[in-house]
Amino acid sequence: MTAARLLLADDHALVRRGVRLILDQEPDLTVVAEAGDGAEAVELARSTEVDLVVLDIAMPRMTGLQAAREIGRRTASGEPPRVLMLSMHDNEQYFFESLRVGASGYVLKSVADEDLVEACRAALRGEAFVYPGAMSALVRDYLDRMRRGERVPETVLTEREDEVIKLIAEGSSSKEIAQALTISIKTVERHRANILGKLGMRDRTQLTRYAIRAGLIEP
Amino acid sequence: MPVYWKVFLINGTVLGAATLSLVLAPVSVSRQVVVSEVLVLTIGLGIMLLANALVLRTSLAPVDRVIREMRAEQDASNARALAAQEAERHRIAQELHDEVGQNLTVVLLGLKQLERRAPADLAAELALLREATRDGLDDVRRVARQLRPGVLEDLGLTSALASLTNDFAEHSGASVRRVVAPGLPPLTSEAELVVYRVAQEALTNAARHAAAHDVTLSLTRAGDRVVLEVTDDGHGFDTTRDGAGLRGMRERATLVAGDLTLRSASHGTTVRLAVPVAPA
Repeated sequence: MTAARLLLADDHALVRRGVRLILDQEPDLTVVAEAGDGAEAVELARSTEVDLVVLDIAMPRMTGLQAAREIGRRTASGEPPRVLMLSMHDNEQYFFESLRVGASGYVLKSVADEDLVEACRAALRGEAFVYPGAMSALVRDYLDRMRRGERVPETVLTEREDEVIKLIAEGSSSKEIAQALTISIKTVERHRANILGKLGMRDRTQLTRYAIRAGLIEP
Repeated sequence: MPVYWKVFLINGTVLGAATLSLVLAPVSVSRQVVVSEVLVLTIGLGIMLLANALVLRTSLAPVDRVIREMRAEQDASNARALAAQEAERHRIAQELHDEVGQNLTVVLLGLKQLERRAPADLAAELALLREATRDGLDDVRRVARQLRPGVLEDLGLTSALASLTNDFAEHSGASVRRVVAPGLPPLTSEAELVVYRVAQEALTNAARHAAAHDVTLSLTRAGDRVVLEVTDDGHGFDTTRDGAGLRGMRERATLVAGDLTLRSASHGTTVRLAVPVAPA
């Protein structure tokens, strides 16, 4: 198996180094290039062959969001690489904006040590990586709509998934949900994935479509 | 000369002149007052009042002007204080994100590396440190976010209001409907910040003072103004008792030549802010 080729962009050199060490440890991931700002990331994404670009949201010269949009445009040499955003902001609006500019995931820096590797793999598989804060906003919106009798995607959730979705809407973390329902965190994660799938929010396109329909982002 | 002595002197002069004219003029008032005497007295009184009014007016005009200037100066200084406060908050939030946050991220990622390589007894200790670092990072982010809504600057007013209402729904338990008209004209960044802060204050009041269950926040266009309206179904509150929150909203509105109106009754409250569109 050949390792996926990654481009890493963050304006803080030590953060970049930390992230690189985490990623390079995985046999299926290898960082082949590093950029210190958005403009450099766009240039490198054009000149280097990479499968995934990990972009910090807040960078000088060109922000991560602007860079993601530019990188997504690259078409001369086939498919553009996938993009994953790395961010300090725990705010679902950044996540939706990231989706809108073409990124397939959003990882908070405060959980980068735990989530980044999985998020990279999900992005490489073509799945969306929905960070927990955005998940609860999505689910809350969905439940609100259902209560108001608006049309929502037909879903049949199991009783357990129903319990999980309510806890997610209240903003509980996976750990808290696991404790509340006395199940393992792994099981909670599986429920989360299933719920997203059933709500029609599995990949970037589906999620973006839902967020636009729900008025969470402008088309 | 103090205003008190000025008024006293003017009144004294007029009364003195009246007394003098009574003494010197060949007039007298009968025991049984007759019509002609009443007429003369009334005219005299009229002249006296007129003279008094004229002199007072000219000599007190500067005082009025000073008071007006002081009021304007106070408004301007409140506005400057608010602007300075926002700028300072901005700077601190930025510093927290860019410096403290980034360095804590370095520590977090570094600890993860150490943990992998450390012997089991040290690894458990390092895991504890890592969780503490994560908490620190969460705190930094939370404080930065309270100081300054980064989303407003990075993603614009629509996203910032969406994030505000989402947050509100999550923490207050009330349900919020958000209506933002598409294609709104651009506002200056100062006006956007004022709209954001007023929305924030209105939502806080709805939850804290009015115990509302349903809140609607709308942003629409009315002529050359953009109008924010926050309506709730709470039990209302006394709008005449100008609490700090309400005064703050008014001051902010003044800052960008906006109009703030507040209607509150036992069945709900509406806060309405109209701000002028940015000049093209």
